[in-house]
Order: sequence, then C-alpha cells, then structure tokens
Amino acid sequence: MSQIQARFFTEDKRYVVDDVPFSIPAASEVQELSNVINKLLEAKNASHSKVEFDFLVRGQFLRTSLSAHMETESILTEEVVEIEYVERITAPEPEECMMHDDWISSADADAEWILTGSYDKTARIWSTEGKPVMTVPGHTDVVKDVAWVKREGLTSLLLTASLDQTVLLWEWNSERNKVEARHCCRGHAGSVDTISVDPTGTKVRLERARQKLKRQQRTPLMTLSGHSEAVSSVLWCDSEEVCSASWDHTIRIWDVDTGGMKTTLTGSKVFNCISYSPLCRRLASGSTDRHIRLWDPRTKDGSLVLLSLTSHTGWVTAVKWAPSHEHQLVSGSLDNLIKLWDTRSCKAPLYDLAAHEDKVFCVDWTESGLMLSGGADNKLYTYRYSAQQAEA
Amino acid sequence: VISLHDIRNTVGNIPVEWYKDFPHIGYNLDGKKIYKPIRNKDELDDFLDKMENPEYWRTVHDKQTGSDIVLSDDQVELVNRLQRGQFGDVNFNEYEPMVEFFSSDVMIHPITNRPADKRSFIPSLTEKEKVSKLVHAIKMGWLKPRRVEDDGRGRYYDLWASEDSSILARHRMHLPAPKIPLPGHHESYNPPPEYLFTDEERALWEQQDPGDRKLPFVPRKYSSLRQVPAFSHFIHERFERCLDLYLCPRQRKMRVNVNPEDLIPQLPKPKDLQPFPTTQSLVYRGHSGLVRSISVSPSGQWLASGSDDGSVRFWEVCSSRCMKMVQVGGAVKSVAWNPNPSVCLLAVALDSVVLILSPSLADKQVILSSERLLSAQQEGEEPAEGNGSVVWSEAEGEELNQGVRLKIQHPKAVHQVVWHAKGDYLASVMPDNTSHLQVYIHQLSRRRSQNPFSRNKGLVQCVSFHPIRPYFFVATQRSIRIYNLVKQEMTKKLQANSKWISSMAVHPGGDHVICGSYDCKLSWFDLDLSTKPYKMLRHHKKAVRGVAYHRLYPLFASASDDGSVIVCHGTVYNDLLQNPLIVPVKVLRGHVMTHDLGVLDVTFHPTQPWVFSSGADATIRLFT
Repeated sequence: MSQIQARFFTEDKRYVVDDVPFSIPAASEVQELSNVINKLLEAKNASHSKVEFDFLVRGQFLRTSLSAHMETESILTEEVVEIEYVERITAPEPEECMMHDDWISSADADAEWILTGSYDKTARIWSTEGKPVMTVPGHTDVVKDVAWVKREGLTSLLLTASLDQTVLLWEWNSERNKVEARHCCRGHAGSVDTISVDPTGTKVRLERARQKLKRQQRTPLMTLSGHSEAVSSVLWCDSEEVCSASWDHTIRIWDVDTGGMKTTLTGSKVFNCISYSPLCRRLASGSTDRHIRLWDPRTKDGSLVLLSLTSHTGWVTAVKWAPSHEHQLVSGSLDNLIKLWDTRSCKAPLYDLAAHEDKVFCVDWTESGLMLSGGADNKLYTYRYSAQQAEA
Repeated sequence: VISLHDIRNTVGNIPVEWYKDFPHIGYNLDGKKIYKPIRNKDELDDFLDKMENPEYWRTVHDKQTGSDIVLSDDQVELVNRLQRGQFGDVNFNEYEPMVEFFSSDVMIHPITNRPADKRSFIPSLTEKEKVSKLVHAIKMGWLKPRRVEDDGRGRYYDLWASEDSSILARHRMHLPAPKIPLPGHHESYNPPPEYLFTDEERALWEQQDPGDRKLPFVPRKYSSLRQVPAFSHFIHERFERCLDLYLCPRQRKMRVNVNPEDLIPQLPKPKDLQPFPTTQSLVYRGHSGLVRSISVSPSGQWLASGSDDGSVRFWEVCSSRCMKMVQVGGAVKSVAWNPNPSVCLLAVALDSVVLILSPSLADKQVILSSERLLSAQQEGEEPAEGNGSVVWSEAEGEELNQGVRLKIQHPKAVHQVVWHAKGDYLASVMPDNTSHLQVYIHQLSRRRSQNPFSRNKGLVQCVSFHPIRPYFFVATQRSIRIYNLVKQEMTKKLQANSKWISSMAVHPGGDHVICGSYDCKLSWFDLDLSTKPYKMLRHHKKAVRGVAYHRLYPLFASASDDGSVIVCHGTVYNDLLQNPLIVPVKVLRGHVMTHDLGVLDVTFHPTQPWVFSSGADATIRLFT
C-alpha cells in the first residue's frame, strides 16, 4: 500500500490544523480524509464535533480515491501534495412551495420579498416564508420577466415586462400593501422577453424578442442593435457594460456610454440565459445543447469557453451565480431538474434538485440563504442552503 | 636356316655391289680367296629360265652366297602368310583368352595392402607451394593477375532491342491455345461400359449445341483394334484445332484488383455535418386529435397547428406554451403561415372552406399592415367568369373575435393551402379525379380567385409555388408538373418512379424538388439534370407523409408512418458540375404510433437548425 505525502490547509479559520506533511495511504477517499482531519481537530480541541469535509486538490474537488485523482490530473506523487479542505456543503432542503395559477416565467428575489411573473398575465409578490402578499395585474399578455428596481424603506419600485410589448413600472408600498403603475415604457416592436436593472438602480435594460436592446430611464435613452435574431437574455455587468445573449449564437458586450459593441463571444448553439458574477468575473451561459459554459468577458478575441458543465438532458433555461460564493451557480432546465454546481468540480454537479414535475423556467438566489426555482408546473419552490462563509 | 657364322660370306654386312666386278667375295681363314659360284646365267638364260623353269617362281637368289635357293612349301606358306599380314608362326594363336592381371573378382588378398597416404586426404602440398609462389609473385608485382573480362553484355546481342514495341507487346500478350487434353477413357476403342452413352445421354448429346457438348464425339465400343473404323470427323477436328491455334483471337483479360470498398463513394461522417437536430427538446401538448399540419411563423417565434379535433392552436416555440386556440368547427387539413414577415396571417383549410386568420401575436405595426392587406379591395369589380364557384366573404361576430378575417368558400373539400413567397397569392387544392377544377389560385389583396388549368391531368396531391421564379409545381399521383405562370404553359414534367406521391417540397434555391410517396420512397429531383429522380432514398419502412427543406441550412427531412423523422444533409453546389451531396444524418424518434399512423407533418424552423414534427398522437415535437 503506497503512501502519499500530503499537507492540509484551509481558509476557514475554525478548522485549521498543523501545517506539517502527513503520510496518507494513496487509495484513501474523501471519507477517510475527512476522518483524518476530524481526528486532528479533536486532538487539538476536545470539544470539536464531527464535521464532514470536502477536499480540493489543485482547485478540483476530490471525487475518486486520491491516487486515481492524481493520476487523472497527472500530479506527481513524489512531492508533497497540497490539499485544501472545506466544510462540505449540505444539500439544499426544499422549504416552501408557492402555488400559482399558471406557468411561472420568471422570479426575482430580494432580501425579504420574492417577485414572480406568470403566464396568467400577472406578477405576484410573496414573502420569503411563502405567503402571497400582492398580485400585480395590468398586462394584456403573458408576463415574461420581472425585476426589482429599488428598495427604499417601505416603498419599492418594480418592473414587469410582457409579450404585449410594454414594460410597466410599479411602485409598491409594503406597509399599505398597495401597488400603482407609475410608467409604461413602450418602444419595442416585439415582445419584451427579459429585463435587467443596473446595480445603481437607475437605469434599466430591456430586450425584445426581436433583436434590439433598449436602455431606458422612463423613455428610451438608447437603442443598441446588433443581434440578428431574438435576444433571449440581458444583464448589466457593472454600471458601464451591458451583456446580451441571443438566438444568433452570440453573446455581445456593449459599452453603455458610447452605445457600441465591445466584444462578441461566439458559440455554436442558441443561448437561452446568461449570468454574471462580479466575484469571479465570469459569465455563465445556458444554451439549447444542454451545456452551461463559462466565459471570461474580458477576452479580446472571439470566443474562449473556460469551462463547460454538462449534465442536463434538456435545454438549460436559467443559470444564476451565487451572490456570496464565487464558485457556485445554480441552473434550471427543461428536464425538470435544478442543479447546483461548483466550478471547481466540473464533471458533475454538487446536487440535483428534482422537486419540479415539469419544465423549469427560472432560478434565483437570495442573500439570506434561499434558492428559488419556478416552472411550468405552476409552482415556485424555495430551498434552504447552508450559506458558506464568504470567501475573501 | 642361316647361321651367324656363315662361311660362305666372310665380308660382313656390306653392300654386295662392291664385289660385283670381282670373282671372289672375301677371304677365308687361310687367306685364300673365296670364289663366287660360277654364274653362267646371263640374261638370256635368265629369261629362258623364267619361261621354262616351273619352279622359277619359288627360286630366290641369295645375294650373300650367290646361290639360288628353291623354297620349300613351308617357306612359301610362310612368305604368303607374312605378305597377308598374319603372324609367321602357324601355331601361334593370337586370339588366346586374355589373362587378366587385375581381375574383377575380389580376391582374398589385395594387390597392395599399403595404407593410403595422408596426402590423398589433404590438399596437395605441392600445389600449395606453387600457389603460394604465384601469390607472392602477384604481391610483389612480378605477375599481373589476369583480369576477368566482363563480357556478359558484349557476348550477347539483344535481337529484339530495335523491335517495334507494339509487336513485342502483342507477342508478350500472346496466349497460346490450350493443350488438347490427353485421351482418356472416353477416347478408348473399348471403354468400360460406364463411359458409353445411355439412351438419355445420347438424346441429350444430340440435342445440345455442338459448342455446349462435353465430348465432341460419341464413345463407341469395338471388340478389337482391327475393327475401329476411320474417324469421320478427323479432318474437321484438325481443322478446328488449326483455327484455334492460329486464327482464334485470344486476349488477356486485364483483371483490375480493386478493393470493392474503394468504389463506394466516401460520404462525410454525420458529425462533420453538424448542425442538425439530434434530440427531442420540447413536446407541445394540447390537441386532442391527430395533428395534420403545422407551420412556423417567419420570425420563428410562433408555431401554428391544425388538428382533427377542429381547433387551430398557436404555440410559443421556446416554451411550448399554447398561447391561443381557435375553434374552427371542422377537421383542419392544412395550415400555412404567410411567409411575408411584415404581415401576420395564417391560412387554414378545413372542409371546403379556407379561412384567413389574423392572430394578434405580433407587433402592432405588423397587425395593422395585415389588416390593411385584407381590407384592400377594389370597388366595383366584377367577379370574373368561371369564378362563381368560389365565394369570398368576411367573417363577423364571434368568428371575428377569434381572429378569423376572411372565408373563401370552395365547391369541394380543400386538402391543402400554400402561400406564394411574397405573401399575396394563395393556392388551394381540392383533389378530384374527374374535374379540372382542382387547383385554385387566389389573390388576397384583390380577393380574386382563378383556376389556371383547363384540363384534368390526374388527381392532384399537392402544389407549391417556386420560391423565386414564377413557376408552379403541381404533384399528381405519379408525376410532378412544372408550369410557367407567366407564359401560361407547362415547362417540365418530372416522372417519379413512385406509385403515389404524397408530399412535395421545393428547395429554397429553386432548382431541386423532393417528393415523398406512400410507397416509402423519397425522390430528389435535380431540375437542371433530368426529369427522372437524381436519387431515390428508401430509408423509411412505411409511407412517407411529409417532406420539408430548411430555408438556410442544407438539411431536409421526411416524416413517415413508422413514427420517425429522418433528417438528411443535402448540400447543393453552386457550380453546375457537381451533383448534390445527400447524406442521411439522423433518425429522430419520439412520436407514438397511433392507429397505424405515425408522423403526419414535418417542418423546419426558419432560422435555427430545428425541426418540428406533428403526429397522430396529438403532439407536436421539437427536435434540436
């Protein structure tokens, strides 16, 4: 039985062990390594309770035995191997289920409230505990996307976009529980499929099913046109840049001040959705060939797929990065599954959540440890996940 | 007997002529002269002697003594014998048996029992010395070794070097006639009975062609060689053989060693021909009867379907949501979306009516322009003759709310509607074997209909407009006719080798047509090539119900009753030299066979490499 020299380290200050190399049997798996760490911690601190750990070698999660992993990654076994360990993320538990009257097309979560848009031409506001608070009618056609704009104390602004080519701005008073329409943004020649609010809360990007993107602040400020087919998803990268993904197989990044296109990332299949994480500066896109691809929006040249996550068996309709964790993202797909991924373990998702019975159309996170997903079975599920310590 | 010491002559061995003139010859011991015998014989006496003396012939004059000796008989005999060359001694037998010195009999004792010398076994020492001397001489340069002449080339002269190569080739190619096989038992004059012909064999032999016969003769049996008659066919046989030898042209058959797999054209692998639809992505559920026809809007966002349950449904492509449903009150045979992207209209064929629907599924501008197109109508226009059977009317009331705008009433059941590429003209098909009023072409903006054909050419199955030029394709049961609408005449007639054509599609480039038929075949016609199909594809097991081309990608699909949709890659080359490359690329399954019917209609998305198929299981499936 061969042995490998390993040194353990962690970012988590609660579970630090001595920084000396240990001699570990080569065929040990995650469970055995976890036992080793636990014993070391118990030796240090008598009141330590057993914790499950997950191990990363060179940024990749350890899933097989240590020797097999090192062989596939071609790491030399003669030197001391640095193994990082983190507390294992437990599976998200489904908490609440909110029934709607029709398919849920989109959801946007705030710290306390959840806003959902549905195919029954209304938008609804729910509390995070699952109680319906408010129904926002007013559109003449299916509501395709919703977004919070601002929250100041008791009043907040929200937007709903619909197939009737309008975007309505509402003001909602949470105390009095009243909502009134403030403004109607017209200007699109086709159905508005997604909207996105910029980080400062002042401007809004809309995008239509017919190729143009409009920047609005009450009235259209600017039209960015460049896609040759329907734009399926749009978001603000930061206050200067806008990113859009379209059915013409490209993701384009636009400069808001000039209105010009900065970079184009070309893929081979239709993009359904994108999400940007300021923590790791990566763009994740879901497309109709069932893969989730990670891109670096800073690259100057055409297309560079950094990572490709494959596990879904249907179109990936929604991806969202975790707001507090730079490696995690959640994706929803037409095969009724929600998958939680860690980019360091790229061959398989961390967890599969099979709560839905029909196609999943939208997913979202809240800051306080909740994940949301809504789909064609009229249900919006919330899941409690163990919030990791925010990585520095 | 002559003794050595003959005292008659004491002079010795000297020529007697020295004493010719003297009377004496020599002296005796006393010193006295020895006188010659008196010879008184002169020539005359000699001559007389010769004549008369009977013993003259055996008288010998001894020169040494001077006397005449008469030979005795023995002496005469001896002389004769010597003259003949025989041995002088009579008793000598020259033929005595040889006494072998070394006989062939093996004796007990060898002649010599000396053991063999070592030098008889080892290389010769003397030769070695001689050779070493020669070698030394060569090394020292005293002796030059004899250079071996390379006369290989010079010794032989190539007789045929300057010969004509064609003659040489002919010589090389000469195949001599095969040798006649050696005679066997059949040729025997008394063969075993099994080699003789029985009656049947004889009859068979007589019946056969002389070239086919195994034996050129009939084996006969004779009891003895004497009775064998002359072979009647001898000269003929020899003549044939001579012809065979010098007159029969024989040619070497050049066998080409070709791997049969090299002859099969190399088709590209399907994974090189991406993109094409591979998996089922969405299922559009909602209909309750079999879905006969589907059509995608030119923008690619909406899908319209018509079914036997009397409804037309509009679906959102990306989410499979049924946005709208219109009850039209009859089994819908065909739906067709207006290809003009600036209007949003759907033509629906049900029973004997064609409805024009305006679903409000688009931009307001587009909807307005659709309304404008529909309501444009020249005032005071007389309907043309021959048109009385087709009635245009506007919808009102409930139907208007649902979206129906115009109704075109036909005399018979309509099976298919199809739009022209510009979106103004519409063709409808009413199959009827007997009449010539099977096809109507309507103009939407002027609300006019006309029947272009004056003669009945067969049961019309489906029609199609050319995407670019003013041609009109009419598919009857066994052929496709192409009419020039401007010149008002038929330009081409394509003969499909199928019994019953079911559906037809025209390539967006306009030069190729595919048609599927109920006998499981799909024919691709290249209009520039010929009126016969360029390729016939027999991929399906059952009847082909629908065929479609993609507008942008080089793909075409066929839907069949066996529940599968087969997508093929078909690149058409711009240069007229290369034939289209057709590679079947994917079999898409997913539909459930219901009542022996499978997939009824297939159509491609206008911009993405996706294919929609509708089936008898009341679902529409999207494959991407």
